[in-house]
Amino acid sequence: MEFGPVWRAMMRNKGGYFLIAVQIAVTMAVMVNAFAIMQERSFKMGRPSGLDEANTFALVSVGFKPEMDSKALISEDLDLLRNTPGVINAVATNSYPLRQGGWSEGLHREPGVGKSVSSSAIYFVDEHGLETFGLNLIDGRNFSPEQVSWDKDSPDPWPATVIITQALGEDLYPDHEGSYVGKTFWFDDDNPANIVGVVERLQAPWPSWTGVERSMLVPLRRESNDVRYVVRTEPGYRDQLMLQVEESLANSSKDRIIRQVATVDEARKLAYLGDAAMIKILTFVISLLTAITGLGIVGLASFSVARRTRQIGIRRALGATRPAIVRYFMLENFLVSSIGIVSGAVLAVGLNMFMVQAFSLTPLAWYVVPVAMIILWIVGQVAVAGPARKASGISPAIATRSI
Amino acid sequence: MLNMKNVSKVYRTDTVETHALREFSLTVEEGEFVSVTGPSGSGKTTFLNIAGLLEDLTSGTYELDGRDVSQLNDKERSRVRNEKIGFIFQSFNLIPELNIFDNVDVPLRYRGFDAPERKRRIEESIEMVGLGSRMSHLPAQLSGGQQQRVAIARALAGEPRFLLADEPTGNLDSQMADSVLDLLTEINTAGTTIIMVTHELGLVDRARRNIFVRDGRVSDGVPELHLADLAAG
Repeated sequence: MEFGPVWRAMMRNKGGYFLIAVQIAVTMAVMVNAFAIMQERSFKMGRPSGLDEANTFALVSVGFKPEMDSKALISEDLDLLRNTPGVINAVATNSYPLRQGGWSEGLHREPGVGKSVSSSAIYFVDEHGLETFGLNLIDGRNFSPEQVSWDKDSPDPWPATVIITQALGEDLYPDHEGSYVGKTFWFDDDNPANIVGVVERLQAPWPSWTGVERSMLVPLRRESNDVRYVVRTEPGYRDQLMLQVEESLANSSKDRIIRQVATVDEARKLAYLGDAAMIKILTFVISLLTAITGLGIVGLASFSVARRTRQIGIRRALGATRPAIVRYFMLENFLVSSIGIVSGAVLAVGLNMFMVQAFSLTPLAWYVVPVAMIILWIVGQVAVAGPARKASGISPAIATRSI
Repeated sequence: MLNMKNVSKVYRTDTVETHALREFSLTVEEGEFVSVTGPSGSGKTTFLNIAGLLEDLTSGTYELDGRDVSQLNDKERSRVRNEKIGFIFQSFNLIPELNIFDNVDVPLRYRGFDAPERKRRIEESIEMVGLGSRMSHLPAQLSGGQQQRVAIARALAGEPRFLLADEPTGNLDSQMADSVLDLLTEINTAGTTIIMVTHELGLVDRARRNIFVRDGRVSDGVPELHLADLAAG
């Protein structure tokens, strides 16, 4: 390889090569950090909510008669839903994961004002909540029907039993090893709750909340004219049952309307709309920047070929084969790309360290920088291939032509 | 050593056909110093290009060292150019970004010699042309005569079977030209075959045989009238 002569020749014409190296370095730094953001967003979007998402939908019943017996209507509705063929189970609840609206509470390890140590999303459900949501109970037991109470507004007092997520247990009792079942914490300074079960996962309704994995099921039905039902169906029946259930509920009572019929898949799309858009934008930016860098390399190489037409002819006359001319330009590009890529890698890591500190971004995965380096090396070599091939076609006879 | 028989070269465009060489036949024996002269447009440079395998011929045969080289592919032609032929050009054709050492190194790298062998050959050939102290200089830091000497060193470093020189003193003053010619004579005396395209009378006198080219055809000896033209111009 002509490493030495190529390098020395480049050093006598630094300007253009320096600018391309800077462009590659900036591309590398932006590419790596944009990819890190995309990766983080992608990971966030890919987290399971804990629900059987593919087979679950929700709807809201809005009663418009103030004097209606909402408690009776909810019981009838639940009977209707649970007895519909294809429905695995159904529950009346205040919210569900990914809905972006719900209830949260500060939690205390001991009673008293200002002693909150954690917080959690609250899902009011009955003993059917566990199966309707499709949760994996990893410790303890489900609620018994007797433990489920009715309430109209804010629970007062709070039910004495709850089922929590593993993540909530770890946050509430960071030093505790072993089962959380049987442990007690407090709502609202003085409402004790006993943990009867632990589920592996149940996300809060707000996917961007830092405590998204902390939530609990509280055995309570809320007596209200506005009720949200969550329905879990047998696989493959969801879409069909959504229409059927909406019609059945609407027909069962003329004192309400059924609205907000939506799958959890739709809720997921809405919840991560911003993240998905960010990924698309960053993909576009990375692609654009890489393309511009590639075009810059094509431009520099084309200029270099045009400027050195005679020199290439001389090299051919002196015995260079066509592949040798291609190799020359490939090597030249490899050298300038390497300077840009290595500088860019340092810049990328530095920028990432800053972003981790300033914006709590996840540190780069170990493979991102090497992968980006390989991509940019390939882009450089592909970009220079055209001009290099053109150069190799220059006739050696040009060496004998007068200037 | 070099044997061309009925070589023709035709340049074609959409509308024009130019016959640069017609039925061109020439034999050059090993150790000869041949000058090729002729008026402008007579086909001298085309002959040089074909002899140096820089261009294809249209018809005829060309044997070099007993091997038919007229039908070689690009890779083979490059190898023959590199191993058997040394080029000396009118405008020196050194690579401006490379120093003297690296310039002489160019054909040796294509030859595939290892680094110690290349170094030995480069130093020997540069010493031979009297520029041993200028190895790290760039071409622009040398006079025209010195640059032509570097070109000669580059041509000789690969120990070619023959040298093709295209107006080797065309860009030099008379003193420098003499010194370059002395060097070429010395190289020829040492056994290297030289074919030199020129229109300078002083150079024709140095050659042992003169070839005159007119209208793409060759004839031995230089016609008197043409010698007068050369002397005048």
